[in-house]
Amino acid sequence: MTGTRTPALASAPAPAPDRELAGSTPPRQGRQRRREGRAAILLALPFCLLFLTFTLWPVVQSLFMSITDTRSRDLRHPFKVDVTGFANYARALSDPTFLSAARNTAYFVVVGVPLTLVLALAAAIALDRGITRLRSVFRLGFYMPVVTSIVAVAVVWRFLLQQDNGLINTVLGWVGISGPNWLGDPHWSMPALILMATWRNFGTAMIIFLAGLQAVPWSLHEAAAIDGAGAWQRFRHITVPMLRPTILFVSVTTGIGYLQFFEEPFVMTAGGPLNSTISMSMYTYQQFGFGNYGYAASLSYLIFVVIAVVTAIQFRLLREKD
Amino acid sequence: MVNRNRRSSWWLYALLAVALVAVVAPFVWMVLGSVKGEGELRASPPTWWPQAASLDNYTQLFSRLDFGRYFTNSVVVAVAVTAGNLLFCSMLGYALAMLDFRAKRPLFLMVLTTLMIPGVVTFVPLFVLVANAGLIDTLPGLILPFLVSPFGVFLMRQFISGLPRDLLDAGRVDGAGELRIFVRIFLPLCGPALATLGILTFLGSWNSFLWPLVVAQTEKTYTLPVALALYSTGQNSTNYGLLLAGATVVVLPILLVFMVFQRRFIEGIATTGIK
Amino acid sequence: MRRLPLLATSVVVATSALTLAACGRDAPSTGGATAAGAAVASGKATGTITIWAMGAEGEKLPTLAKEFEAANPGAKVNITAIPWDAAHDKFTTAITAGTTPDAAMVGTTWMGEFAGLDALDPTPGNIDRGVFFPGAQKTTEVGGTSYGIPWYVETRVLYYRTDLAKKAGYTQAPKDWAGLKAMASAMQAKAGAKWGIGLQAGGTGSWQSVMPFAWSNGASITKDNAYAFDSPQMVEALKYYQSFFTDGVADKAAPAAPTTEPDFVSGKVPMFVSGPWEMSAVEKIGGPGFTDKYAVAPIPAKQTSSSFVGGSDFVVFKSSKQRDTAWKFVQFLSDPKTQASWYQQSTDLPSVQSAWKDPALASNAKLATFGTQLKTAIAPPSYPTWEQVAAQLDSEVEKVTKTGADPDSALKAVQQQASAIGTGQSS
Repeated sequence: MTGTRTPALASAPAPAPDRELAGSTPPRQGRQRRREGRAAILLALPFCLLFLTFTLWPVVQSLFMSITDTRSRDLRHPFKVDVTGFANYARALSDPTFLSAARNTAYFVVVGVPLTLVLALAAAIALDRGITRLRSVFRLGFYMPVVTSIVAVAVVWRFLLQQDNGLINTVLGWVGISGPNWLGDPHWSMPALILMATWRNFGTAMIIFLAGLQAVPWSLHEAAAIDGAGAWQRFRHITVPMLRPTILFVSVTTGIGYLQFFEEPFVMTAGGPLNSTISMSMYTYQQFGFGNYGYAASLSYLIFVVIAVVTAIQFRLLREKD
Repeated sequence: MVNRNRRSSWWLYALLAVALVAVVAPFVWMVLGSVKGEGELRASPPTWWPQAASLDNYTQLFSRLDFGRYFTNSVVVAVAVTAGNLLFCSMLGYALAMLDFRAKRPLFLMVLTTLMIPGVVTFVPLFVLVANAGLIDTLPGLILPFLVSPFGVFLMRQFISGLPRDLLDAGRVDGAGELRIFVRIFLPLCGPALATLGILTFLGSWNSFLWPLVVAQTEKTYTLPVALALYSTGQNSTNYGLLLAGATVVVLPILLVFMVFQRRFIEGIATTGIK
Repeated sequence: MRRLPLLATSVVVATSALTLAACGRDAPSTGGATAAGAAVASGKATGTITIWAMGAEGEKLPTLAKEFEAANPGAKVNITAIPWDAAHDKFTTAITAGTTPDAAMVGTTWMGEFAGLDALDPTPGNIDRGVFFPGAQKTTEVGGTSYGIPWYVETRVLYYRTDLAKKAGYTQAPKDWAGLKAMASAMQAKAGAKWGIGLQAGGTGSWQSVMPFAWSNGASITKDNAYAFDSPQMVEALKYYQSFFTDGVADKAAPAAPTTEPDFVSGKVPMFVSGPWEMSAVEKIGGPGFTDKYAVAPIPAKQTSSSFVGGSDFVVFKSSKQRDTAWKFVQFLSDPKTQASWYQQSTDLPSVQSAWKDPALASNAKLATFGTQLKTAIAPPSYPTWEQVAAQLDSEVEKVTKTGADPDSALKAVQQQASAIGTGQSS
């Protein structure tokens, strides 16, 4: 990467983007700012146009739906509905199924995100630095689960998770553990889904970490090793700080993805058994399916609020330190 | 070279190999299942190696499907969406990472906010919008809403903010225009991020099912996942063999894209010279 | 420039306030629904119509369409096959955006919702509704008006292994509830079965397993145009259903993806309740000769023998610009000869009773059982909220079978939810 050109500067932590250039004089600053402003407008234009049309407008429309009692039949005359204010939101917060869904989602995220990140980072480091040969084979192999469609994957995993003949319980049996009825037992259904989701998603995080690791110059590690630093120390003091923006990115996007987890319970367990795997997104989807558009819209905005809070926390914790 | 101890390398390879087998096993089962008969697929206990392998499922798939058309549609849509994202997301990501302008903070916040909005929220209003724009049953209707993604902007912004700022200063000192700096200096350095974004975007577009399903009215606009669901899921039962064969077929182009992009990615690293 | 955000904010607030103030539902219209649509003009069909059909039917329908085109030169039928997966969403979004086809095949449980969206054209008066199985005809009726026709049907019957039954001492199918339980237990005791009968222990669609017993006990889901789940007959039926699980005759921990066919063939679970598609499914696994090892029988009766009738209806959309041609095609589909010919091509059971006289159907003993059951089979109510209420029922049934919850309180809970949700009918 660029590390060979100016090694000293490249080893500095990623700079905060809105720091002024030191030592500029005011007139040059003004002209510079105008140039930057003009360039920024051009660069941002395509995104803003598409965003306004295809995202912002639908969002506003569904925000509106969430404060009314819109049902599917009302969509042809969207304004002929009764405004109900926050009634939908209040109903959601006292809906026992939604609260179960919220608990399940929290369980999934709290366990699933760290698990996925740790596995992905471990795999990325092993592939980037630990081995020299067969890298592309391992990379391709670990990425494969990401690529397959959920419906096909579900068929396979249902066989794997069978109590009597499933592969997982067979392997557990080799070490003397009698595996549970994964998908049929309310206590083990979530762990089964977490396992499956981690399997499916760690490949994506892994390739993003690989991209980030490429930007960590080898020369730094060599220099540190010569100074006597061990592998773990080098990891903590060189790799992690340089990977900070990448870790933040992976953590945020995985968190956002997992907070909306939907496909695994939808395809594998339909939310059961006994509502132990129903997620917030799945419940929202069900409500849309029943035609309760107003209620479903309010549920999705509650999910949004949760996502916003969790993301903000992650930014706080993992933000680039100056 | 650091950490090139023969012994530790050995157990690392072994560990990775075990992990690889565990990770790839379900995928292998899927491919093996695609050559099994329906009876064998529903048998209990399930079999690993096919007892009577046949390409029946595949011949059924290709004879019943107008494969060429669906494949082309999928490719056109996925390539267009990927190209759009690579271009527009890197543009805005660069602006957010390197340039200074008044709307920067609110714009970045808006990008992040959109990222956090559950997709299910915008689905129905988006459909009505696309219908009113006359884009139903057209390929642009499948492409336009996804031409940029907040995820792509976020990825490029994070990556670019890790590149050295002095390249920007050096470029300005040399008298280059802002856009020129972006295109000539920074963009070439974004190889790994662009490759990553390319793979992820292509994958998302290739596997997308629900949107093409509702937007396509006639079979001429179907993409591959929609067409495959057609023949494998029934009202009361699923044709597992066809499903697995279809899933295998859908997966292959992506693996190809991945292998191609990954190789460019490695080449990019090698030529800039990490020593 | 500082004032711009303030100005912008006040504009946004004002617009929103005005928009919200302009909202409000119209008073419900009091006009009654017409009982039948306008009659279809006579003569040959002309023009082009587009049709949507799901799954295997979508693939095979073009063959039938060619027959129609041959009989009606000047008419063209374009068929688009759509996948079952998410077909419902495709329909609802098309209805919302006004991009529906002229006619389509529609799942029976969706009729209430689509009619409620005012999307369907009422059946013309000159199509005779008496030719269909009564239960099937009911699936097209929403709020007293019939929309479209029942195209093909399916119903649920009892499957049992005749060879294992003989071992257990039975040469005939059970005719009543006590007999069913006894036979299932005997299968476990004397014929080496692990579970006497396979019944769905709650979960999505389990109501289709429970309701046949409730209906056989004379229960009804609705009363006075509203839901009525907590009737004594329903409670009794659910208690009976639960007893299979509590007495260890049926597996309450059955996996989400059922292994019905392999278990049936291996004898692990030698009885189950399901529809006609299972015949070819079990025979595929059982291999040649297996067809002689099992039989089907009507659901054992308490008061009568009744079951669930499903299948698909064929509807014409109100927005169709070729109404006459579309209905003529529908008439063509309901012709007994076409129905019999369709069975030959697709193995979908005909909804027209006289089509069953066709030798292909009449000569098959197992099919004849389905035909008999269809005469008394019942469909769930075609209320727009049925799917949502059914999900509540599924959820309570799960508690009853898996945790031994009291059926009486479970059904009271369902009734409470159902009343809160309402039937969803307008005015």
